[in-house]
Amino acid sequence: MLGIADLGILLGYLFTALAFLLCLFYGVMKWKKGYDEKDGDYREEIKWEREEIELIERLP
Amino acid sequence: MVYLIVFVLIYLLITIYLSYLGYRRTVTVSDYLLAGRQMHPVVMAMGYVSTAISTSAIIGFGGISGVYGLGLIWLAFLNIFVGIWVAYVLFGKRTRKMGKALDAHTFPELLGRRYDSRFIQGFSGLVILFFMPMYAAAVLIGISRFVEVYLEVPFATALLGFSLISACYVLWGGLKGVLYTSVFQGTIMIVVMIILGVSTYMLGGGILEAHSALASLTSVVPDALRTAGHQGFASMPVPGSPIWWYVITTMIMGVGIGVLGQPQLSVRFMTVKSDQELHRSIPFAAFFYVSITGVAFTVGALTNVIFYTHYGKLAIDVAQGNIDKIIPLFVDAFFPQWFVALFLVTLMAAAMSTNSGQFHALGTSLSRDFFEQALLRGRSLAETTVVTRIGIVFGIVATLFLGFVLPQSIVAIATAFFFGLCGATFIPAYLFGLYWRRGTKAGAKASMLCGFVVSLLWMLFFHEQESKALGLCKALFGRDSLTGLPLSMIDPQIIALPIGFVVFVVVSLLTAPIREETVRKAFRHI
Repeated sequence: MLGIADLGILLGYLFTALAFLLCLFYGVMKWKKGYDEKDGDYREEIKWEREEIELIERLP
Repeated sequence: MVYLIVFVLIYLLITIYLSYLGYRRTVTVSDYLLAGRQMHPVVMAMGYVSTAISTSAIIGFGGISGVYGLGLIWLAFLNIFVGIWVAYVLFGKRTRKMGKALDAHTFPELLGRRYDSRFIQGFSGLVILFFMPMYAAAVLIGISRFVEVYLEVPFATALLGFSLISACYVLWGGLKGVLYTSVFQGTIMIVVMIILGVSTYMLGGGILEAHSALASLTSVVPDALRTAGHQGFASMPVPGSPIWWYVITTMIMGVGIGVLGQPQLSVRFMTVKSDQELHRSIPFAAFFYVSITGVAFTVGALTNVIFYTHYGKLAIDVAQGNIDKIIPLFVDAFFPQWFVALFLVTLMAAAMSTNSGQFHALGTSLSRDFFEQALLRGRSLAETTVVTRIGIVFGIVATLFLGFVLPQSIVAIATAFFFGLCGATFIPAYLFGLYWRRGTKAGAKASMLCGFVVSLLWMLFFHEQESKALGLCKALFGRDSLTGLPLSMIDPQIIALPIGFVVFVVVSLLTAPIREETVRKAFRHI
């Protein structure tokens, strides 16, 4: 197929394509999911972000 | 030369501007809140992929496929399946939640706080500090080989020159505000690699013709490679042969699996605001990844067709045995000057986006993970800023030193070494930390030390690729490896990683659980 006779190579390309499709479908199926927030998460996130900014500030 | 100067200047100016813009937008918490708390999925995907992919993938692994053929496509499969899907879905989501719950900002900090252990954080920081320069050197060597070929300057000059550019970038603010720069750098990489892939097939006369020509080169495979298991550039090596073990366990699995234990990548999941950002980013990240590595590995093998048609020689012969020169020589010989200059800019983008992540990890490993946690036992001092800089300068100097002393054909090998070492050391404790509440501090310590020590011992005394180069085995026992085929060809990670998993489970079951409060806190959002 496509000038390649070796099954191992063809399977490599096939699995690469399948892995890409898995990522594509997973992303599309879950496109609207995962935005739920929990109590306290927001404050926690701000605390986390403050510390992250401090960390970035210490970089050259 | 005009193209080169113009493209490099435009690239550097845009990069500096975007760094400034990104930095300005992250300096205050209120800015962050106003930003709507969502990162565009393309931004997240580009940031992740441009950090993961460096000149190593394009020059180093492209060159490896120039020698061993299209079998490297299995690495592209692992890049997408493990490097994206498993990394995002199985590791990323929980890393994000646990990172926030434990207020962790570095990969060693996540492990340290999860297991309530300063030793784990400090030790992880030291592993990164001492071994990351090997990977950073691979990245710099990759671009320097291209500069050497393109500008016809000595390799040492090219290495020193690009290291200076990279050091200036890193030390004058290149580590801040990397978000926008990585998008810019990622875009250049994808566009240029797609052009490279299409043009290479056109040079080969079309897809079918290029593949058929590649298969027909089987008869000219050098005898040394053929006896080691090489069956042609369009075929997998003979199963169980030395080349098969080398390609599968070191080049494909070493990097393909080891990516899960990469500190500069894992930390990116912690900066994400919601699972939704991760979900939406997955298709883009997979597309970007396959567009770059899939093309690099395919083009690498196809260089043989083009070189053989024009020069009557295989790629490795044209490169005079230096695998890292295959892609540079190919691009320099068969593409117009404007594209060669653009390709160099692409390599700069690939090197600088990865270097940012590497030196960020190096600096914080010394200051936050080792200095503050292991030495000061959790205290934070104003001097930490200075220590961060010391860590980064140490990293740059060590990288430069390694760049000069490492041998030829090293880019892919050094990358696989670091990925394998991180994989064996970190993956068991990281994975169990995210999923198994019963995992203990002693289990994590034992698995990390075991993975690290077994990897090093395997490299020093068994895995011939390193043991021969390092020479300790020969000095002590009078031979290059204590074992024969196939064990001497099996990558250290393949041995050390399963041992690490077993040690983690056994030690955890035999030792006291972590404090209930720590576990509850870690799993609060899960």
